[in-house]
Amino acid sequence: MMEITARNIRQWSRLGPRAVYGLALAELIGRDERVYALSADLGVSSGLGRLMAEAPERYLNVGIAEQDLIGVSAGLAKEGLVPFASSFAPFITMRCADQVRMNMGYMHLNIKTVGLSSGVSVGGLGNSHFGVDDVALMRTVPGVVILSPADCVEVVKSVEAAAAYEGPVYIRLTGEAGTSGVHTDDIDFEIGKAISLCTGEDVTVIAAGSMVRVAVEVSGRLSDRGIGCAVLDMHTIKPLDVEAVRRAVERSRLIVTLEEHSVIGGLGTAVAQTVAGGDVRPRVMTLGTPDGYLKNGSYPYLLEQCGLTADAVTERIWDALQE
Amino acid sequence: MTNLEKYRQAFVTALNADEQKLDDLKYQDIPEWDSVGHMSLVAELEDAFDIEMETDDIIDFSSYQKGIEILKKYHVEI
Repeated sequence: MMEITARNIRQWSRLGPRAVYGLALAELIGRDERVYALSADLGVSSGLGRLMAEAPERYLNVGIAEQDLIGVSAGLAKEGLVPFASSFAPFITMRCADQVRMNMGYMHLNIKTVGLSSGVSVGGLGNSHFGVDDVALMRTVPGVVILSPADCVEVVKSVEAAAAYEGPVYIRLTGEAGTSGVHTDDIDFEIGKAISLCTGEDVTVIAAGSMVRVAVEVSGRLSDRGIGCAVLDMHTIKPLDVEAVRRAVERSRLIVTLEEHSVIGGLGTAVAQTVAGGDVRPRVMTLGTPDGYLKNGSYPYLLEQCGLTADAVTERIWDALQE
Repeated sequence: MTNLEKYRQAFVTALNADEQKLDDLKYQDIPEWDSVGHMSLVAELEDAFDIEMETDDIIDFSSYQKGIEILKKYHVEI
């Protein structure tokens, strides 16, 4: 197991989610002979450079052919192996959607897929590479667990949890290298169990992935204005921690969902469905990327355009509470 | 341990580098000094000298000799 220390956390934050995914997978491969790494010609981009050099027999590059990536992974899984297949988020979900639906969904094979740089962090590469609809797509595939780690500590935990879980898992990586993390120490990480990061009685922000750090910052700013803002780190988007959502509903007059994903079909939709099905229904505000196409730009610029900065989110919540 | 010894030891610990060949060592000269090894080296130096390096300096740190120059910014004389 990878050691969670202050020094490692600092190092991982600098390396970023993709490189840390590669480190975590290499460590896993070293101690579990069933685990294989696969990519569609994006091995280095997946942080697998060292693994490719040191254990080439455990790495398969299928070429730029994501449908084959899932097909080969399915074959390995049928033989009792544990394939981890990675590519940029839209390529590992939408481009190979039918193979995902049949092999991860209908066949329920033990395949782990990893969406690199989901959200809008690859700003310069444009809409073809943005991952703003991957959760929406994967949520509709029955039986697939969707993990959205908040920082590099959770990336490590997600890889370990996915390997230990018998069944299909999609790990969604967001954020970029050089971003400070959320966790400063080891955590209890369990699939389907949200982590409470801040407490407060007025608002609960339910966030996933890169937006968890933003949510924590928002909570601090609202606290300065006398608003109690709880934060739930919903690292598992499916199955959703329904009990945690219900507890939040009972204590809060406003529920806010925050994700680097379209406002359609992601965490916000999952939470809103849960709230709508209960007896107590506070207002739900879903914050994410708009239903449309963004222009290319730097990652900070795009987050600003989407209103996904701590400043913008704080003001949105403040305004909603004044209504 | 002198600063020079600490500096050289960081390369040996983080990169498993040959101490006899450190003076001319550059980024990616050896397989261990890749991006991951680079961050390990930075972490070693930060712990050894009780500093926190800025991102621009981490990027600029392209060789053994360049590192000596960069550490002067942090009041570490090798």
